[in-house]
Amino acid sequence: MPARSLYIHVPFCERKCNYCAFVSSVPESGERALYLEALSAELSMRAKKHTAPLETCYIGGGTPTMLTPSQWRTLAALLEKNFAFAAGAEVTVEANPNSMTSEHLEVWKEWRVTRVSIGVQSFNDAELSLMGRVHCADEARRAVSRALSFGFDVNADLIFGLPGQTFRSWGLSLREAAHSGLAHISLYQLTPEEGTPWESLGPEELGDGYAPYRWAQWYLPKKGYTQYEIANFARPGHESRHNINYWQNGEYIGAGPAAAGYISGRRYKNIGSLARYAECIKSGALPEAESETLAPEKRAREAAVLALRMSSGICAENFIKEQGLDNYRAVSAAVEKFPHELYEKDACGVRLTKKGMRVANMIWSDII
Amino acid sequence: MKYENIRNFSIIAHVDHGKSTLSDRLLEATGTIDKRNMKAQLLDMLEIERERGITIKSVPVRMDYKAADGREYILNLIDTPGHVDFSYEVSRSLAACEGAVLVVDASQGVEAQTVANSYMAADLDLELLPVLNKIDLPSSHPDQVKKELEEIIGIDASDAVMLSAKTGEGVSDLLERIVRDVPAPSGDASAPLQALIFDSVYDNYRGVICYVRVVNGTLSAGQHVRFMATAQEYELTDVGVFKPDMLSVASLGPGEVGYICASIKTIDEAHVGDTVTDSAKPASAPLAGYKKVKPVVFCGFYPIEREDINQLREALEKLQINDSAISFEPENSAALGFGFRCGFLGLLHMEIAKERLNREFGVDLVATAPNVVYQIVLTDGSIIEAHRPSDFPGQVSITEIREPYIKLSIFMPDRFVGAAMQLCQEKRGTYVGMDYIAPERVRLTYDMPLAEFILDFHDRLKSCTRGYASLDYEHIGFRAANLVKVDVLLQEEPVDAFSFICHADQAYHRGHAVVGRLKELIPRQLFEVPVQAAIGKKVIVRMNIKAVRKDVLAKCYGGDVTRKRKLLEKQKEGKKRMKQVGHVSIPQEAFLAFMDVTKAEDN
Repeated sequence: MPARSLYIHVPFCERKCNYCAFVSSVPESGERALYLEALSAELSMRAKKHTAPLETCYIGGGTPTMLTPSQWRTLAALLEKNFAFAAGAEVTVEANPNSMTSEHLEVWKEWRVTRVSIGVQSFNDAELSLMGRVHCADEARRAVSRALSFGFDVNADLIFGLPGQTFRSWGLSLREAAHSGLAHISLYQLTPEEGTPWESLGPEELGDGYAPYRWAQWYLPKKGYTQYEIANFARPGHESRHNINYWQNGEYIGAGPAAAGYISGRRYKNIGSLARYAECIKSGALPEAESETLAPEKRAREAAVLALRMSSGICAENFIKEQGLDNYRAVSAAVEKFPHELYEKDACGVRLTKKGMRVANMIWSDII
Repeated sequence: MKYENIRNFSIIAHVDHGKSTLSDRLLEATGTIDKRNMKAQLLDMLEIERERGITIKSVPVRMDYKAADGREYILNLIDTPGHVDFSYEVSRSLAACEGAVLVVDASQGVEAQTVANSYMAADLDLELLPVLNKIDLPSSHPDQVKKELEEIIGIDASDAVMLSAKTGEGVSDLLERIVRDVPAPSGDASAPLQALIFDSVYDNYRGVICYVRVVNGTLSAGQHVRFMATAQEYELTDVGVFKPDMLSVASLGPGEVGYICASIKTIDEAHVGDTVTDSAKPASAPLAGYKKVKPVVFCGFYPIEREDINQLREALEKLQINDSAISFEPENSAALGFGFRCGFLGLLHMEIAKERLNREFGVDLVATAPNVVYQIVLTDGSIIEAHRPSDFPGQVSITEIREPYIKLSIFMPDRFVGAAMQLCQEKRGTYVGMDYIAPERVRLTYDMPLAEFILDFHDRLKSCTRGYASLDYEHIGFRAANLVKVDVLLQEEPVDAFSFICHADQAYHRGHAVVGRLKELIPRQLFEVPVQAAIGKKVIVRMNIKAVRKDVLAKCYGGDVTRKRKLLEKQKEGKKRMKQVGHVSIPQEAFLAFMDVTKAEDN
């Protein structure tokens, strides 16, 4: 089945946040034009082999709002030129509160964007400045309401486990998010990644994350946001279809520097540096840095881990159809080794309970 | 009949009192070794011996000496290991001599091993020749030390030889005194052959080489001989002496010291203390004093990399060819996989073996905490030996447990007596006696369980006496003791690698230390893990390792599934290196640290 999802990576940021390990940089003059030119070439290369209309498209980064509204028009035109979109396709763009302008929103509305995902991170000014974010809480509030006023489905990303974050300040951010009219809320625990200013943070400074996560699992459903995945809560019907495709082991095209894709059973990742990415494309080659096709058993285990991210878990029927009965048995046996309160198993499949989701990493690392 | 031109002697001394340096000087003075070819500690051939300044193997050497009386003498110096671990070997080496040069450091005085070795030599009727060494040092006080020799050892030290092995002063006096005072050997060349094996070494080319002292009869190449203890017969391929390199001779007669080769494959066939006799005309009885040495300290050796098990086995086999006192048998630990339970004559012996395996055979290994042999009297009256905690039968079938005891002598300045006594008491020692050997120096005697001694006694004694104490011990057999086997349970399951034997009074204290340490070292699991210490069914300590409450790597960066998978695989690798006991993953470090815990924290 051909991929019906597309991910575009925009590798620019106004400044790099203290916790971020994504490929992105502050754009120098001409870099954005270079990016669009190279992307256009990559898209036409990738689209050639591709016929099915897209069900979902996700433009992330980096900071996609670092592209100007007119550059956005170019990008939209590029996509329309190379791909067909299915009726009712979900198109998401990521936005930063301070660089997202009304013009952006207008361009998006004109085009076919349905969702806007805003990097709010926190509604607390002290926490925002500590993270090195370029916006303040008020800007975040305004961005959310502006996006809502355009009729988009709006998501907000929030981070917990920040140095100095209190349970109370987390609760306040969460409450504000739940009362802002959002369709979707994503929660991330701060992970000190290698190569970031916060990589040396020790566990003492970070706290164990249990309380904020547990609180969200309890609080958000009360406010109408159901946990459908480890990190994602949504009002029913507003789940991110693009992300669900990842977790259901669906295929997708990735384009742009450092973008990852999954086509015909092969996972690939593009070159991270914009200059080398563009150079590679100029030479007529696909700008891939890594590529791998997993053996059936490994692929099954990967699929199981992805599926267990979601509260719906592994669907027995689909999994057996795609990965075989033996692999289903092996995977469910691996899950059944764990204490009973961590998972549920029935005729439909295997899934983690809320408690299981809290320790999912330990379970996955056994299954993989 | 006397063999007037032969003198057989050994040098006995406390460690560091200058025995090896004195040997070197004697070799030089008699011209056995050219000064140009001299290197320090010539007779200590093993790398470890040189490094640690100790002697492990006996090395005999034959010196030709023209004495002041104008006659030529053959002086056979039999160097002996000084450490108590090898006391049986020492006793056999001494049995090959008629005299012993007793070296005492003139500044330090009589130390524990001085006494132990002197008594051993006296028991074997050796003539003792007291020598005060290091008289060139300004801190030496020979008169005081002479007094100590007389009072503690009970020998006349009035005409002790004063020398400095460092400068060579007094060495010629000593040679003269050896000729004058050490009795010439006696024996009967026509009597049936009796020769004492006082040591043996393995040589890659010649097989086992036995070091012998002929008592009666003669040894010559081509002769058919019998080893009386093993009843094996061999044809001698070579007979010779040490000058100090091996030099073939036609024959060895009574009183002579040398070596024999007989295509003996393993050192286990050539027991130290055995008597060599002629196959055709055997002696009616072997020489007195033979016994088979038994290991007293045991520990497990495990390769660090599990695949290296065969390499370790081969290395142990080769080491055993050189050192028959080492015993080993395969064992399997839940924690460390396959390895060997090895028996040694003592702690030093164990350390040396470990180091030789590492250096000479290139094997990286983990040694478990050493333990002693226990005798267990069962309810049916039979007695079994337990070499490790898992050898212990259930509590109900045990009538009595006996553990090996040692008699321990500690020499030290009297200001440390309080601290030393406290340590001995803590180590379940039984006070035997205390006497002043000099106005400010004391000898303290205790009976103590060997198990307590090997734990960390030496280190702790050193620290509480600031290194001034010297000690020596002898084995005094088994005594009944109120011992218990403490099991450590994870999730109600006993883990054999963590079991230990200790005195009932210490069970709680040590159990607590072990359980507390494991609680720190075992990472949290997805469920609560109780860690318990129990004697039989009775739990004496319990702590819980709390369950992990949260562990989520949340973000799947822009669909980069591969990155995520690799992260998880890395974590899985980490888990794999842990040992699964039931559902609990225990890191290797926990097992290693546990070995330290018994060494360092429990007492």
